[in-house]
Amino acid sequence: MPERPERTEPRPIEGAHDRVTEPPRRAVLAAGIGAAVGLAGCSGGGDEERSLESHPAATNLSDQPTLGPDPLDADATVIAFEDPSCTRCRAFEQETVPKIESELTDPGRGAFVFRGYPVVYDWGEPATKALEAVFDRNVDAFWALKDHYYAAQGSFGDGNVLARTESFLADETTLDAPAVIEDVEDGAYDAAVQADLDAARDADLGRTTPTVLLFKDGTYRTRAQGSVSFSLIESTLDL
Amino acid sequence: MSTISLPRLPMRGRDWRLVGRTLRLVLGIPAYAVFGAVIAVATLTLFVVSQNLALVGDAVVGGALPLENRVAILLELYPFLGTIYAPAVGTVLLVVSTLMGANLALAMYHVREHGLSVEGSGGSAVGLLFGALGAGCAACGSAVLAGLLSIVGATGVLTLLPLEGLEFSLLAVAMLCLSMFWLADGMRGGEIRGCPVDARR
Repeated sequence: MPERPERTEPRPIEGAHDRVTEPPRRAVLAAGIGAAVGLAGCSGGGDEERSLESHPAATNLSDQPTLGPDPLDADATVIAFEDPSCTRCRAFEQETVPKIESELTDPGRGAFVFRGYPVVYDWGEPATKALEAVFDRNVDAFWALKDHYYAAQGSFGDGNVLARTESFLADETTLDAPAVIEDVEDGAYDAAVQADLDAARDADLGRTTPTVLLFKDGTYRTRAQGSVSFSLIESTLDL
Repeated sequence: MSTISLPRLPMRGRDWRLVGRTLRLVLGIPAYAVFGAVIAVATLTLFVVSQNLALVGDAVVGGALPLENRVAILLELYPFLGTIYAPAVGTVLLVVSTLMGANLALAMYHVREHGLSVEGSGGSAVGLLFGALGAGCAACGSAVLAGLLSIVGATGVLTLLPLEGLEFSLLAVAMLCLSMFWLADGMRGGEIRGCPVDARR
């Protein structure tokens, strides 16, 4: 369990929902493929940064929800930064992740790591905290709650996210649902969410979700933004 | 002596028929059709590549992947060939790219074939100017969308917009349509392939 921080004002978490839009760097860079060529040798930093073990996006990797083998031992590792409130994350979770499971993690060919990155709608932040609180208690309940957020995404909002979460946990899991919600409201998992936000910031992921980082044989290959298909992941990692 | 007046807005059905006729005549010339198609593909490519510069740089342009993997990755970036864009967004992107191609084909024809001082052309220079502004605005709108994109997930003020930022692309569509009208209006009085641009003339 992550060290329980001293109780402080739980919201807002630094970096989440600050309603400040970054300068449109990608728009500026949209000068074309030539720009991409120029950047080709610049992405990813030095050799040290290109290893999974030392990549900023992989900070506290062992504490993250993971499917498949240990990411540090896996032939391929996919780290996905997602927001439960993001509609393209829902598409990614419902169309791509099942194929990642059947083709990659279940056969033991690779690992899939979920990192909460609540930067889209406000309700994504308490939802991500609830996910952290549930993961700390029961891994299976974590995956179930994550699936529930995406399956019923349209029904969540600022006003009902914690109530609906409590209801789901009480009905579908053996967890002490009120205790989970109390922890979320008390800010007990703010630090865990902040760690994910810090990892995204240190990896210079911008504020786009989903962002998927791809590693092969413990080495960073690239990142992809948007609800990319398993076919794209397969081609990129040459699986 | 010709006078320069601000271009008007297309308010009547025959204004849009003028646009359609002009487009048909210009794009009926193979060279301009090819030019428009190239611009459309280039516009779409710039847009989708701008959304995944790291991926393109690391895996399509750089890296050591086989050619077939690079091609497969590149194709996955396009609407409907890959899964990155929702269908509605993919459709708007295709429409914007197509309109951009058609718009620039019209502008190119206007400059090359009519010049900017055709007598009786109804203010072709102003038409071209506003056409270019329209295209620029559309490109700007798309660039803003690219930068603040909600289609691959976004944050901030976009989530306050009903269409989560797609408004920018819809604005680009509107500006491109206006731009094409102004170009066509600017070519009034001229001929394309021997046919008058304005059929009523």
